[in-house]
Amino acid sequence: MNRRGFLKFAAGGTVGLVASPIIWNTLYDAVYWTQNWGWIPRIPRGDSTYIPTISKLCPSGTGIRVRLVDGQPVRALSDPGNPLSRGALTALAAVETQLMVSPARLKDPLRRTPDGALVAISWEEAETLLKEKLAEAKGSTACISGDPTSTINELLSSLVESRGSADFYFMPDDEQAALTAWDAMGGLGRLGYDVDNSDFILAIGANMLESWGTVARNRKSFSAKRPAGQDARMKFAYAGPVQNNTAAGADWWLPCRDGMEMELALGIAHLLIKTGHAVPSAGFDDFKAIVAEYTPEKVAELTGVDAARLTEVTRALAQAEKPLVLVGSSLGAGGGAGAVMAGIAVNMLLGRVGKEGGLVNLPFPSPVVAGASDYRAVRKRNLVAWSQSVASGEIKAPRVLLLYEANPLYALPFNSGMEEVFAKSGFKIAMASFLSESCAKCDLVLPAAMGLERFDDCYTPYGSGEVSWCISHPLVKPFYNSRPMGEVLIALAKELDVEVGVKDMPELLYKKAYSLGADFRKMVETGAVFQKKAGGAFSVPVYNAEAIKVALTLKKETTPLNLVPVVVLGMGTAQTGIPPFATKIIMEYQLAGHYSVAQMNAATADRLGVRKGSRVTVRRGEVKIPALVDIFEGVLPDAVALSAGLGHTAFDQFSRNKGSNIMTLTSITREPGTGLPVWSSAGVSVDKV
Amino acid sequence: MSEVIDFKIRWGMVIDLDKCTGCGACMVACQAENNLAPQVDASNKLRALNWLTVYRLSNGKPFPEHEVAYLPRPCMQCGKPSCVSVCPVVATDKREEGGIVSQIPPRCIGCRYCMASCPYHARYFNWYDPKWPGDLDRTLTPDVSTRPRGVVEKCSFCHHRWMHAKDAAILKGEDPMDLPDGAYVTACAEACPNGAITFGDLNNPKHKVHELKQSPHAFRLLERLGTDPQVYYMSKREWIRRQGDNYLEHEATGDNKKV
Amino acid sequence: MEERNHTSAPETAKKCCGWGAFLVGLVVALILGWAVLPALMQKELKQPVAFNHVLHVDEQGMDCRQCHFTGPDGRFSGVPTTASCAECHSEVIGNTPEEIRFVQDYVQTGREIRSEWLIYLKQPDNVFFSHAAHSVGRCATCHTEYEEAPGTLCAVCHMDMSKVSTPPVYSENRLSGYPKGTMLMWDCERCHANPNHLSPATNANNACFVCHK
Repeated sequence: MNRRGFLKFAAGGTVGLVASPIIWNTLYDAVYWTQNWGWIPRIPRGDSTYIPTISKLCPSGTGIRVRLVDGQPVRALSDPGNPLSRGALTALAAVETQLMVSPARLKDPLRRTPDGALVAISWEEAETLLKEKLAEAKGSTACISGDPTSTINELLSSLVESRGSADFYFMPDDEQAALTAWDAMGGLGRLGYDVDNSDFILAIGANMLESWGTVARNRKSFSAKRPAGQDARMKFAYAGPVQNNTAAGADWWLPCRDGMEMELALGIAHLLIKTGHAVPSAGFDDFKAIVAEYTPEKVAELTGVDAARLTEVTRALAQAEKPLVLVGSSLGAGGGAGAVMAGIAVNMLLGRVGKEGGLVNLPFPSPVVAGASDYRAVRKRNLVAWSQSVASGEIKAPRVLLLYEANPLYALPFNSGMEEVFAKSGFKIAMASFLSESCAKCDLVLPAAMGLERFDDCYTPYGSGEVSWCISHPLVKPFYNSRPMGEVLIALAKELDVEVGVKDMPELLYKKAYSLGADFRKMVETGAVFQKKAGGAFSVPVYNAEAIKVALTLKKETTPLNLVPVVVLGMGTAQTGIPPFATKIIMEYQLAGHYSVAQMNAATADRLGVRKGSRVTVRRGEVKIPALVDIFEGVLPDAVALSAGLGHTAFDQFSRNKGSNIMTLTSITREPGTGLPVWSSAGVSVDKV
Repeated sequence: MSEVIDFKIRWGMVIDLDKCTGCGACMVACQAENNLAPQVDASNKLRALNWLTVYRLSNGKPFPEHEVAYLPRPCMQCGKPSCVSVCPVVATDKREEGGIVSQIPPRCIGCRYCMASCPYHARYFNWYDPKWPGDLDRTLTPDVSTRPRGVVEKCSFCHHRWMHAKDAAILKGEDPMDLPDGAYVTACAEACPNGAITFGDLNNPKHKVHELKQSPHAFRLLERLGTDPQVYYMSKREWIRRQGDNYLEHEATGDNKKV
Repeated sequence: MEERNHTSAPETAKKCCGWGAFLVGLVVALILGWAVLPALMQKELKQPVAFNHVLHVDEQGMDCRQCHFTGPDGRFSGVPTTASCAECHSEVIGNTPEEIRFVQDYVQTGREIRSEWLIYLKQPDNVFFSHAAHSVGRCATCHTEYEEAPGTLCAVCHMDMSKVSTPPVYSENRLSGYPKGTMLMWDCERCHANPNHLSPATNANNACFVCHK
């Protein structure tokens, strides 16, 4: 064929193709291709089911309604059917399903190799190792639990006891100080706050609309009594060093230096007594003598709270029908018992103890696992006191250290001695769902099934005004190679010939239900919750003036600058790290790139010679953290506010390389009298770089 | 599309700024509901992609007179949306009963005229390919398609929830165009533990928002631009209401209010 | 060279090809364009199980809605799940080899048939379609003929399967990944852009969010 022939052939071909559907159909199909981005994921197409349960990540066990699509949990929605949280959701509970598949999730059991790396091993190896190490460690086993609401603690405690040891601890939280204070004042049970029924709440230091206590429930209460567009049926005042999220919802903000909660409460007591409030009880006269010197002027000097504003709030508090004073610490741990005692005394002056909407006395849970220590006994032991003793060599380090959902290396102040405990302990085992800083330092890491994959429970979180008990049950099989730790512990107990009295977690929870009088089956099937009002006789608390007087001698460290920690629950806990979606809720005044942001008011910044955006180091002793300055007038003068929950070195890309951990700037002292380790006040200096 | 349609139903919000404490639950719920990809570093807020953003407000006074408030900002679903009139490809439109401004990412060419024209910064550009590291894509919901790099997206008032609410009404034999209050709420309103966001039909007297928007404390953002937003805010604090628009010193808030 | 070209080329062209080359090209292209290429573009797939509608509908007297129904949340069930098939087929109850295979491979192992079933009208992720909104009850307010024969409403979009004993071959476009039957926007617009449909009875309009998500 020649050229001309070929051209004719080609022309014929072109005409033929144009006259056939292939080109037009292909062009037509182009519309489909625009929907085929291969590099972005497809969405699922299955049926949705909704199951009520609770969030075990959220420290107060917020009720959630889990949406599953073809059996895969995709959303944690609010659950209006839950009688405790009544449809309120926290930013942390909302990511329960995302965290189940987060990159930080532990997938396999990990074992430390001689060269220091953590490598995946099989469950058989892990369980053998677990049994071997615990069998060897008779008389020298310690355990730290980061989930005080779970009955799994009883299994842990029973195992530790069976090793001939009493070193079973909870991670420090506000309940420790509250229990010490309530004991000192003559209360017999657990201290509870009936937030739901109060009409005036003064929260001193307690970040109650963001992280303190039964936060979802507190907020529902706040929401219901302050309906949009109507008059508020509940007044709310917050005393704290910074206008944090809780302050944003308050009618009054009392700017009070961090660590000075006790002095503020005594100032209120002073004003109340002056206006004739006196509910007599043992020790009243001595108490009156102590508070006599806490005049508004003196309190203003000590705490930073303006005398007129204090008087105004105290008057409003006294006029309320059902006032309630809550005391907590900014960090949710490390506060002194003295502050809580002073807070209890104020409630006593107002006649609010044992009343609806006031302070209530709750019973301690009784253990259902054979050989377990009771809750009160565990609460009485202090982790930090122990770790400091181990660090100083007073107590021998345990041969086996077991961590259950706890991250003490991140969450405790630098001088807690925890690093030395880790260095000195023989074999360290972590049971956790995420690769935390503490897991990274352990010899054996066991991947724990999460709340939606396991049987677990949440018994009366601290701050609740009634006994409550909710359970979580598996909605899906454990992801990856994780296992429910309750079952692992029960199997371990059997291997070690420890009689725990239950054969699996459902039986354990069934026994618990029986002891409470709850209907276990109904709770699993319908997500029902067990509730029991506080009540019954209890002894009238006393004004323990002596204890208050001694606790007052605690040296607070508020200079040169008062360090103000800001806690935002959505940014995760020490156990979860920063959840994937939370990076967007971290504001520019909390984190800038890799730097923590130090907020201070303009007067303070002027004095320090820094401006918005200045690079500074925040220093306390040897510890320095870099930060960028932001000007915020909602901080006390001579104070610097920094976000807690940053500076993770483990977990995943969403947590790492973000700011610095402020716990390194805090340090522990002992509260006089109670001996409680406290770290609620820290003085730092800010230097320009 | 420049004519203004009088809709029988106008979905809207009234956000009580005295109740919002800025916890971020709404932002988290929004991301999860609408399949927004998580971002490893979201501290550069110009590059962070959100349909709903919570801003911190300050009364501008020095300590101790300082006050703080938080303002959640979804898409205002304007009655006269400036984004719609500038879109060269009709990727965004306001034509459906209910008055929700639609945004169809597959149709968007990424020119970002709409972003420039939106006075509320409610529109966001996909600067990066969305990534769900590891298995995070297993938590995608079936309700909203994922978007690629290079397109603009924004809050849809969880439009899919309206569709589902209508379906549920049809099956119950009820009128899908007369939903009872609460049958359709957005993910943010549902998630807010403080009850700060009230959602409903602004035109329907049976819905709570109808009453709330008439409160003397209610206002809209930049009302005097004439965008006629379907999102109202309310606060008893004058300084907050004043920040809703650019008032001159002698001007009082609420002068230009249209309900 | 030049001379030879002058003399011989036009002649040979006339002789050997003429319009024949054009015709050959045309025929080849037509064959390619009508048969070969379209066939190459399509990938033919078989359903995981050769489900027999005739057997279930005619012989067992089942109603379409026993498997294809709208759930309480408004979501259309579409294809039944292994679990719903297992309500009858928990064990082999007939004698066809396909049923035996289904029971062994799916019912006994818990494998999900619905996630493997090929959808003839598969739509992309950004399409929202509500079967509840297009139900007989709603359409029959005006189109009363659907009241008597609801199946005809389904057949507006779907193939009528009730008389089909083996599932039709599923043919998927290799480039786009979508089956032949997938409808495009104008198929929807036949009703949605029809002014008669904008009556309050249906509230169907042609706004973007009505069909897109």
